[in-house]
Amino acid sequence: MKDRMGSWWKRLVASRRGARRPAEKLAMLARMAEQTADQEVGCDEVYELLDQYADLVARGEDPSVLLPAVHHHLMICRDCKEELEALLRVLTAGQP
Amino acid sequence: MRKVERSNDGWLQDLQSIGLSREAALKDLRIILLAGLRRALAGWVKTHGREFDALAEDFAQEALLLILKNLHSFRGQSRFTTWSHKISVRVALTELRRRRWKDVSLENLLESGEARMLMDSPAQGSPDRAERPALLDWVRKLMAEELTEKQRRAILAVALGGMPLEEAARRMDTNRNALYKLLHDARLRLKRRIARDGVTLEEMMESFSSG
Repeated sequence: MKDRMGSWWKRLVASRRGARRPAEKLAMLARMAEQTADQEVGCDEVYELLDQYADLVARGEDPSVLLPAVHHHLMICRDCKEELEALLRVLTAGQP
Repeated sequence: MRKVERSNDGWLQDLQSIGLSREAALKDLRIILLAGLRRALAGWVKTHGREFDALAEDFAQEALLLILKNLHSFRGQSRFTTWSHKISVRVALTELRRRRWKDVSLENLLESGEARMLMDSPAQGSPDRAERPALLDWVRKLMAEELTEKQRRAILAVALGGMPLEEAARRMDTNRNALYKLLHDARLRLKRRIARDGVTLEEMMESFSSG
């Protein structure tokens, strides 16, 4: 299933890779500032759409096109991204 | 009893009914959620053994209550089971984050070396790409001049300290969504100030990433 996810997923994963050294964390802060959009959706709105987003991924579709604001939030919000990853672990196991 | 395959409408119909249909649907959904949690929580906790079984059972029960309470809000834009797993995952991760961070106070994080590095008073001087200490002073100046105290604390706790939003929000007497918006405003202020000061983000990232 990961082969179907495509490069957009790899970008999402790379955008949230943990950083430990202070310099890396400052670089992460700079990257977060750079990625900041004038308008962003919050965690509540993303939660409402997370199941839809996850099903799109599971079907091999690109949610960055269909749900761009949610996709953008997931590049920045560690907590929401963790929940998406957990949800995708369920869906990729072939569970109903 | 044999597990029945259900469509979204089938799930809604059975869960909103009374009697055997509802019982069967609840039983099937519980089994689905438990199996899902075993996958979802890999990497968070050991997903085998009696301790996990008990934990997962608690999460599944709480999720089932929330699912039943919020059936009216299911919009049919995903599979019902995906929607249910989403609720279950939120229940589980909220609790696991709480347990993981329960002994960490906001003050602990803000007293850390990294936080002090950014909270201490900035020295005078303009950023120089070749001198990281000057650039660090400039970052301190940025944060002191552009952000409110609350925003600085939130940035240090969440972005640098790794504290989950929910946990930071609880300690700051707010909620996750409001804290995200506070942080968004902070990021936007930093982004605009960086642009006004004529420093490119590539320069910042290169300087912080090197060495």
